[in-house]
Amino acid sequence: MYELTIIGGGPAGVAAGVYAARKKLKTVIISESFGGQSFVSAGVENWIGTKSVSGFDFAKMLEEHLRAQEDIEIIGDDKVESVQKTEQGFSIITKSGKKLETKYVLMATGSQRKKLGIPGEKEFDGRGVAYCSICDAPIFKGKDVAVIGSGNAGLEAVIDLLPYATKIYLFTRTGEFKGDKVTQEKILGESKVQSVVFAQAEAIEGADFVTSIKYKDLKTGESKTLPIGGVFVEIGVIPSSDLVKDFVQLDSFGNVIVDHKTQQTSNPGIWAAGDVTDVLYKQNNISAGDAIKAVLNIDEKLRKR
Amino acid sequence: MPKVTIYTTTSCVYCRMAKDFFQKNNVEYTELNVVHDEKAREDMIKKSRQLGVPVIDVDGEIFVGFDQSGLKKALKIS
Repeated sequence: MYELTIIGGGPAGVAAGVYAARKKLKTVIISESFGGQSFVSAGVENWIGTKSVSGFDFAKMLEEHLRAQEDIEIIGDDKVESVQKTEQGFSIITKSGKKLETKYVLMATGSQRKKLGIPGEKEFDGRGVAYCSICDAPIFKGKDVAVIGSGNAGLEAVIDLLPYATKIYLFTRTGEFKGDKVTQEKILGESKVQSVVFAQAEAIEGADFVTSIKYKDLKTGESKTLPIGGVFVEIGVIPSSDLVKDFVQLDSFGNVIVDHKTQQTSNPGIWAAGDVTDVLYKQNNISAGDAIKAVLNIDEKLRKR
Repeated sequence: MPKVTIYTTTSCVYCRMAKDFFQKNNVEYTELNVVHDEKAREDMIKKSRQLGVPVIDVDGEIFVGFDQSGLKKALKIS
């Protein structure tokens, strides 16, 4: 039986792993990948102690630091499927069918991309609907595409697409864009970028691949169809708190509510840190720090017995 | 040795991850960058019926994305 199971391999999970190993807690960390959401960033320039690092190298740095620890078990190619309460703690089942018993759980599961939830999105996932602009933008060479979402992620997708797409329609439900002003000015001045304001995406249509998007003009109530060959969805993230939603208190956004002094949740056996929590600022450095608080608190709790 | 082809884009991080995985496990592979190679892009779309990278072809078995456990099985890596 483990004393601690850490779920997640982003900055929170890795920081917790390093501290738990150094505290010699009997720990297992389970994650499909390392690095968290920054993995797909072109550059991380605010990780303290590192002037600039690509998302890929950032992920590698974290993984190497974790693997340098002696006293920790790392399950690096599996995923937690369910967490169940037992008499002595929790029982954890993974996708590959592993079953582990643990006294305490640290949720460092971060967040995942929000989906549009409209007809056609799922059917055309990968067949024109895309979620990783830095990866897939070049494949849309010579195509007209739509980018849904006007925050920084949406604006960055436009920048990734600029060298390849013929025309880029940037959708926003309001009359304005939310991302950084500097980036906005840069892309809205490009002749191939056209903003589509007060537009609510309603359906993605096509045959083998996406051929058009249907949207509602929120000002006139009219339904319109725009022929396009791709849709990039960049409408933000939701916390990945599903695994423990039955045992801990969540806020209305699905964030795990924690005591910000200790990172403990409403369940005395479960802690949480990073983007999955109701922390006010979702940042790599903060996630790492919060996870460390959690492990120190867990260590204290184990010693008291 | 199975014949391994990976279709990539220059900026795709999952592609780098897959290539790292091949190198670590001494798997020989051919990389086709679909950004400039239009024929490779068409082949990739035809083989995988989709528009995302990486696409990995292991002796005709097609993987979309970096599916580590699937690749381990196909390449008989424990």
